[in-house]
Amino acid sequence: MTSLAAHSSPLSLWSRFVATTTWRGHSYAGAVLVLAGLLLSLAVYALAANVFQFPQQIIDAFPFADKVNEARDWLEANVKTYTRAVAEVIRVPLEWIEEQLWELPWLFVLFMLVLPALAYGGLKLGLLTFIGVMFWGMVDMWYEAMSTLSLMTVSVIFSVVLGVILGVLASQSDRFELTIRPVLDTMQTMPAFVYLIPAIFLFGVGATSAAMAIIIYALPPAVRLTNLGIRQVPATMIESAQSFGSSSLQMLFKVKLPQALPSIMLGVNQTIMMALGLAVLAVFIGGGGLGEQVWKAITRLKVGWAFEGGICIVFLAIILDRLSYAISGVEDKKQWTDDTASRFHLLPQKWDSNPIARVIEYPFALIWNLFATVGGAITRSFATVVRPLSKSVAQSIINRPFLLVGGLILLLLYFFGGEFKWMNTYPKDWEVSFREPIDTVIDWLTVNPTFIGITKAIRSFIYLYLLNPLDLFLSGLPWWYLMALIVVIVWASVSWQFALVTLIFLFFIAAAGLWELTLFTLAGTSVSVIICMLVGVPIGVAAAYSRVVNSVVQPVLDAMQTLPAFVYLIPALFFFGGNKTTAIIATVIYAIPPVIRLTTLGLKQVPEEVDEVAGSFGSSTLQTLIKVKLPMASPSIIMGLNQAVVFALAMQAITPLIGGLGLGKEVFDAMNVSNLGKGLAAGIGIVLLTIVLDRVTQGWTKNQRKALGL
Amino acid sequence: MFTVPGQAWFTVPAKPEQPKGENMNLRKNLTAMAGAGALSATLATGLLTPNLAAAGGLVKSAVNDWTGGAVMCEIVHQILENEMDYKVKRIVMPSGPGRDEGIRSGDLDYGCELWPSYSTTKEKFVKEYGGDGSILKVSDDGIIGVSSYYVPRYLVEGDGAKAPDLKSWEDMNQYADLFKTLETGEKGRLLGCPTAAWQCEDTKRLEMLGLNYAAVELGSEAAHWAEMQAAYKRKEAFIAYAWEPHWIHAALDLVKIELPAHSDEKWPATGWAEDVTYNYANPDFAEKHPDVIELLTNFTLTNDMQAPLILSIDVDGNDMADVVSDWLKENEVTWKAWLPKG
Repeated sequence: MTSLAAHSSPLSLWSRFVATTTWRGHSYAGAVLVLAGLLLSLAVYALAANVFQFPQQIIDAFPFADKVNEARDWLEANVKTYTRAVAEVIRVPLEWIEEQLWELPWLFVLFMLVLPALAYGGLKLGLLTFIGVMFWGMVDMWYEAMSTLSLMTVSVIFSVVLGVILGVLASQSDRFELTIRPVLDTMQTMPAFVYLIPAIFLFGVGATSAAMAIIIYALPPAVRLTNLGIRQVPATMIESAQSFGSSSLQMLFKVKLPQALPSIMLGVNQTIMMALGLAVLAVFIGGGGLGEQVWKAITRLKVGWAFEGGICIVFLAIILDRLSYAISGVEDKKQWTDDTASRFHLLPQKWDSNPIARVIEYPFALIWNLFATVGGAITRSFATVVRPLSKSVAQSIINRPFLLVGGLILLLLYFFGGEFKWMNTYPKDWEVSFREPIDTVIDWLTVNPTFIGITKAIRSFIYLYLLNPLDLFLSGLPWWYLMALIVVIVWASVSWQFALVTLIFLFFIAAAGLWELTLFTLAGTSVSVIICMLVGVPIGVAAAYSRVVNSVVQPVLDAMQTLPAFVYLIPALFFFGGNKTTAIIATVIYAIPPVIRLTTLGLKQVPEEVDEVAGSFGSSTLQTLIKVKLPMASPSIIMGLNQAVVFALAMQAITPLIGGLGLGKEVFDAMNVSNLGKGLAAGIGIVLLTIVLDRVTQGWTKNQRKALGL
Repeated sequence: MFTVPGQAWFTVPAKPEQPKGENMNLRKNLTAMAGAGALSATLATGLLTPNLAAAGGLVKSAVNDWTGGAVMCEIVHQILENEMDYKVKRIVMPSGPGRDEGIRSGDLDYGCELWPSYSTTKEKFVKEYGGDGSILKVSDDGIIGVSSYYVPRYLVEGDGAKAPDLKSWEDMNQYADLFKTLETGEKGRLLGCPTAAWQCEDTKRLEMLGLNYAAVELGSEAAHWAEMQAAYKRKEAFIAYAWEPHWIHAALDLVKIELPAHSDEKWPATGWAEDVTYNYANPDFAEKHPDVIELLTNFTLTNDMQAPLILSIDVDGNDMADVVSDWLKENEVTWKAWLPKG
């Protein structure tokens, strides 16, 4: 946000925005070039549609798939003993934790999660945790939730520990960072099916293999964000630490890591979300837990049942995420430390005068006062006893009013929870089923003529005007022309070096016989991303302007990102029918949240003065939005586009299960007949496509930032 | 509740309670408390799993993700647990190469109701089909699988039936228009086998039989049934691959379209062979546990016996474990004969 005054005039900002579409310094050249490119492509299509095929001789001579299958057989024969030994490192703690969680009284588990939530996150987090944990019992999925909780805990801990170590290493050595980056890209974008089945012969059936697969998938964000966080520690801080004579190790542990904590915690958050994303797919290797419930429900078309399982997973994700944030103390630290009592307000403090708010707050205040009196008394008296022994211990007990009381509650529950049946296992009478109401709604919508009329219209529009024309166009173009076009776009957006790399990627794809499939995937991804932008940006704008919209949108986005895709895939099929278009719609549902979030974020980051300045020039709210704020937010919005692209390609791993076509289906089909070579080739196709599209769109964000002088 | 893998076999050995003396120091007191804790934890386990020690040991069963296949194994599980003192860990996993790897490597001990037409690995691993014997075919389980194309009854019977003469594959072209969709253009849409891995060869079959249809793969069984069920509820026309016994026939009233009789030479221009399904196991496991293998060998169920179980679970919404235990109570004579001798 430098020198706002320099482009305070909306007009000059607008012209700068237009200028950002320039290519190599020539203004408007960008727009002209894009138009020219489009016309040229149309001309080429008109002249030479479907004339040129990638030479079959090259495809036949390319031995990739066979070599991979040979390597796989060799691995199976030679390394299995070692990988099985590695798997033990995970199996032992995993089974131990699962065993404990299964056996502990449910009330103990409830308090074990709710008490830290209360202590670190206040009443809101405490309540959220309470509702989430109760929900597991309510829908009769307690043991499944415990299995998934243990699987998640172990895989997330391994991912974070490994991730932080690798991240620290990457932050210390540029060469290591450069080497590890493509590996991380691959891990994150390779469809999980490619390694799920090989994981079975390497690591065995069940939760252990699932944990290994989750670690592979969820590790990258932890590495990336640790690296980023450490590299962003201000140089001045490092210098001053050096002047005090810190060794490089001291520097790392006392200065850099603590400073990088917010970034690392963001990595933990991403890791948790990604880990839970794999919870359902893990059923393909016998992973069990909540994923198994969702899978069983889905194969029997019990949507309500699947939703229950899905919401259990959402709660698990939110609890783990928020709790880890709260404990790390990254968020809201300043706000809360002074006044513990104020954290036990559910509603904003300024509502205190409102009688309804008071009625709602009253029971919580009562509980809090009771706790403060009894808990305070216990804590103080204990501290008095301890004080003669050690003053500092006594003080630290007083400073942590929850510790002693919480510990006492947990101890009591641990020893006596097993004595009472209602404390030990979640009582059957307290179960509430949400299945029927959900099923009723879904059934009603499935046969509702108006609703089905709308869904059919949407599907026809997407297929007839977007997907099919784009696919026909792309696959009709001569392969050498399209390759050249892509290389030129990459050159203009990123660099000539990366354009060369892209050319190699494209040749790999074509030689592996995946050209047609890749074009369909490209067409599908483009269509999904276009719809994401058309729908997502307006929603993001609305959320930036209206608190009410925002407070509705945020939790919906949270749920959309953690709810296993299967849960909404089946209703999507009911409504839109089984066909390749439905897969596009499912992709939009999955890929739209980052667009909305980043649009809102970008607009909120525009300084408030901009509104005032633009207003003083007589610009209306709408004008200010379109001519000033959206252009200023454009780097963030393009970042949303970038995320939508990456997410849409990640969805390639799932959509084959509801009739999606393209590279994802190739992976799925190949792995279903145990042809690793073919599956891996298609998986690599997805990875390469993701890397190219990611870099190109990131290039756009960078160019946009530069043009805006940020 | 469905039995969750592991529920039945996680146990903790009870620690003996520490003797309480007059002058216990804090440390001893804590150990005693820990002992009491372990005891209560064991009590807790006891409530979950009524019978703790399993003399027979632990067996790991590959449970099918379709009801018919799952119910078969559940009968075996309950007999193993109640009569033969085994603990059973139930691992739900879709059938396919992943599960085959599990059986071969010994991570899974046995599985039920395998449909040979759909197995892509039997030629590699099962001796009877020319494989290396790393998967042991135990015995036929009595269920005979039938696969074909089906249409809803309202399409071919009754007033307003849109395709009254659609009886066999020869009538299909006449009605191709009825099954057209946006994505299939001028051709009728056949909902084919969900994935290519099942080797149904629908596209080839349509081509060889000269049918003006396009086979659409929906990728997963769930998607396949979802599409059929939604179309059925809206009384739309559809023609789809399906098999029997399956719960879908309890939920939807479907009519089979006759395909040319199966022949290996003409395949896939014919219908499917009848699937004589079988139980299978890891060969090492079979050697170590001949009693389990004997039970699996003796155990057979006919389609007619399986159908009411599927109906009760998937249509009436009853719990599988309860349905099976009720069945065992009512059919004692039947299953007692399956128990290993001696």
